[in-house]
Amino acid sequence: MSERLERGLETLRNEIDGKVKSFFSSCVRCGICAEACLFYTETNDPRYTPIYKTEPLRKLWQKEYSFWGKLSSALGIGKPMTEADLADWEELVYDGCSMCGRCSMVCPVGVDISMVIFKVKHGLAKAGFSPEGLVGATQRAVDIGSPMGITMKAVAATIKHVEANTGLKVPLDVEGADYLALLSSNEIALYPEYLESITKIFDHAGVSWTLSSEAYEATNSGLQIGNKTIAGQLVQRVVDGAEKLKVKNVISPECGHAYTALRWEGPNFIGKAYPFRVVHILELLDELRAEGRLETTGMEHERLTFHDPCSIVRRGGIQAQPRNLLQPLAENFVEMTDHGSMNWCCGGGGGVSSNERAEELKLTAFNKKKSQIDALKVDAVVTACSNCRMVMEEGVEHNEMEVELLGLTEIIAEHLVDKHAH
Amino acid sequence: MVNSRYIYSPVSPTQLTAIILFVVGLFLTQVSVAAVPQKHENFPQGVPTINPGSELWREIRRRDGSGEFNEVNQGLLVNELLREMRNSQQIQQGISQVGQVDSGVLINAQGKRWALFRMTTLADYSAIAIAAIFVIIVLFFVIRGKVSIEGGLSGNVVKRFSDYERVVHWTLAIVFLFLAITGLILLLGRPLLIPLFGKDFFALLASASKEGHNLFGPLFLVSLIMMLISFGRRNIYEKGDLTWLLKGGGLIGKGHVSGGFFNMGEKTWYWMVILIGLVISISGLILVSPNFGQGRLIMEFTHILHVVSAMILIVVSIGHMYLGSIGSEGALEGMKSGYVDINWAAAHHDRWGKLCREQDLIVSAEEYARLQGQTGSISQPVTEQGK
Amino acid sequence: MIEYLVDGPLWYLSLAVFCTGVVWKLGSIIFTSRKTDLSVARDSATSGAVRTVFSRFLPHREIAASIKMQVIAGYMFHLGLFALLFFAAPHVLFLEEHILGFGWTAMPHWAFIVSAQFAFLGLIMLWLRRLVNPVSRLISTLDDHVAAILTFIVMLTGCFALLEGSPALRLLHRFTVELWLIYFPFSALMHTFTFVPSRAFTGAWFGRRGIDA
Repeated sequence: MSERLERGLETLRNEIDGKVKSFFSSCVRCGICAEACLFYTETNDPRYTPIYKTEPLRKLWQKEYSFWGKLSSALGIGKPMTEADLADWEELVYDGCSMCGRCSMVCPVGVDISMVIFKVKHGLAKAGFSPEGLVGATQRAVDIGSPMGITMKAVAATIKHVEANTGLKVPLDVEGADYLALLSSNEIALYPEYLESITKIFDHAGVSWTLSSEAYEATNSGLQIGNKTIAGQLVQRVVDGAEKLKVKNVISPECGHAYTALRWEGPNFIGKAYPFRVVHILELLDELRAEGRLETTGMEHERLTFHDPCSIVRRGGIQAQPRNLLQPLAENFVEMTDHGSMNWCCGGGGGVSSNERAEELKLTAFNKKKSQIDALKVDAVVTACSNCRMVMEEGVEHNEMEVELLGLTEIIAEHLVDKHAH
Repeated sequence: MVNSRYIYSPVSPTQLTAIILFVVGLFLTQVSVAAVPQKHENFPQGVPTINPGSELWREIRRRDGSGEFNEVNQGLLVNELLREMRNSQQIQQGISQVGQVDSGVLINAQGKRWALFRMTTLADYSAIAIAAIFVIIVLFFVIRGKVSIEGGLSGNVVKRFSDYERVVHWTLAIVFLFLAITGLILLLGRPLLIPLFGKDFFALLASASKEGHNLFGPLFLVSLIMMLISFGRRNIYEKGDLTWLLKGGGLIGKGHVSGGFFNMGEKTWYWMVILIGLVISISGLILVSPNFGQGRLIMEFTHILHVVSAMILIVVSIGHMYLGSIGSEGALEGMKSGYVDINWAAAHHDRWGKLCREQDLIVSAEEYARLQGQTGSISQPVTEQGK
Repeated sequence: MIEYLVDGPLWYLSLAVFCTGVVWKLGSIIFTSRKTDLSVARDSATSGAVRTVFSRFLPHREIAASIKMQVIAGYMFHLGLFALLFFAAPHVLFLEEHILGFGWTAMPHWAFIVSAQFAFLGLIMLWLRRLVNPVSRLISTLDDHVAAILTFIVMLTGCFALLEGSPALRLLHRFTVELWLIYFPFSALMHTFTFVPSRAFTGAWFGRRGIDA
């Protein structure tokens, strides 16, 4: 057995807990999960059936925990696990799964398939069976501090632009601030309007906040590639930065998996609870709105809808907040037929958008989102995840659709009453 | 390279049949070893009632005026009974304390005729019919050979039947086969199976068959209704069907005959199944629930109808099973995977095949393999990474 | 001899294997040490767990249309089987005499027959679907087929013995039941019990996040 296979199997072995045993004992191969997965519904390829993606772990569980598996091993007739058992699943798990978790919502026997797929990713990542794109991104994240290679220099440049545009100061490394705001590389590179928007909003609402030069990156390539060790390292950077600045709260930006990594999985990756609270920017904005600290004026007049980012809504729990924030600002808001926690993935989450090999499949999967948008005949789609936004912009362009993609935080900032105007 | 990654080696139909036969054989041996004679229970004491027989006695005794039982009126009684039996073509209806249908009937000569018919003519001709269809099939194969496709299979396919449609067809098939086998055991068991298995084992077999037959009967009706809803519209006769018939459906000779989604032969078989099947179902329901006032005459007639209809379907279904599987190249795939080769479509259902071509519904062999989950992995393992 | 074995030692063996197997498997699930989730819960995990155990009985509106056959045939089979297992007169009597010591009102005979018919039709259609659908074909294991066929055989032998007049047919049914009980803990049939902790785990996970799953 090769060293990499050994590593992979050992990682998978450690992933088998009570939940995994329960899940594999319960699955009756009904195939209902396939109907919930956009990679299956848009390709009709049975290999993208969610529970099928968990095969490497299931095989190991059966070998080492089930009666028949143990009997076969004892009698010497069991088939050993091979590298192919892991390698052949790389495409299914990394290209054909965005960790959206829709399958976990529909399984009649209650299997959290998405969670199990994440465990499989961990094993594959440790064995070195991961797509090149993600490996590169993870390396850059560890070495440079950002998967897209964005250094503090680039962040500083963006800060300068924002200060020039708004006439406001962007606080950096301010010790004792209430909130530490994190950014995603995507936002810095493609949507710097996000930083501008929160600068305006926090000034308007009187929020005490800061950025950190040592902990500015929210995205977690370790999570995307499934390497829990690296994921923990990247979370620790944020924790260190937050502890250094002695902040009470850390804000996770408009990025799906960053929220999952920091808010929900982070403490488990690093093995201890945080001394601060983690909020998603939408949670904070909704709190400000509820406290009456957000004064807005005017409305969006276009016919628009909201795309629910999977990691924020379904797997993150932030379902009501985007609607609380958007609906007062939108004259012509319509919900997608499948919305909220049962909305469909954009197709690019979970590391799929960083995986060049998955480009074609991702565009095919986008057909589901396209059909949702076409059915509503909207002018714009609002979302709160820069990755979703980028993926959908690509999809809209590829399909020559006439739909605008908007960010929710930006919309709020645009409609703020200017307190400085007299 | 197509490299299928199945969880286990898929069990082929042959293996599956073998497994099923093995399990069936397993419990059949258990049953034959376990066959024990029926225990007789004590019949409970009856409530004294006036019975029709003694009423008749009393009638006869009164005729000679004495009201007493003697040699004369005993002889008269016997003659009376014999005369009734010999002359009667109708059922003599008497009076009975028991208020049920036909309980006033002491002697039903009709019943004897029915019983004899069922045990001789009906059973014999049924057995002959089954033997005959097998002979016909063998002859057909010897003379005509396997119905093959000109040019063979292309590998390019088109979707013909959805998952649900296939499930409905095979459900009907399984239920029908079960009913046919249990029904034949009941019909032909005594002459054929008792000599083979002995009376004790046959008693078990017959009892089990009867219970199984009765329970699965209504399932046949339900399956028929599902069949009617799923396939009814496509089986309505249309222009071109008569031509198909006049040309012998392409079975006789090797000429090409035009057909739609279903050809005339298939449509006729379909309506036979639906209509004759309905007759079987309804007659079966009448037979299985004797508490709606059906008398013996109705039951006898219904029974004959049931058996004759069933035999028609059984015999033709054997032909259907042959032609739908080994008798015709490319036929079974449609009901197995739901996809059929376009050459098969062109050969047997060209009008439908043309429509599929026009609507761009043809699926390449590679795409078909992908839809069956047989695409090989495209993963390229990277160099050592991850600690 | 066979009668003695089937009514005696084999019955006790099958019961022992079944009970031990089920308890063992459930125990290995529930009593495996689980790491505490160190993140701060937004909402109650427990209420999420309880809610999901029951809510998963109904499919989500969003996918209901695409899973009609699984739901309809699935419920036909499961409800039919549940009814005939626990409310058919011969079974109620058996449970009273051999296991529980108490019984309850059985359903009328016609209801027994109808339940059995639903169960048969549901099982046949489900198993056939498993054979014809590409997704099911790819993911199904030998265990799935054996479980379906074995259950069918148990039901069939029960049907054969319906007249309750033949000791041999009764023994055959009992024998297949015993085989089924022995096979149960080592197969997918365990979902009968494990669906509860599975739904609870998932419900708890979503519940902490404030999502009704």
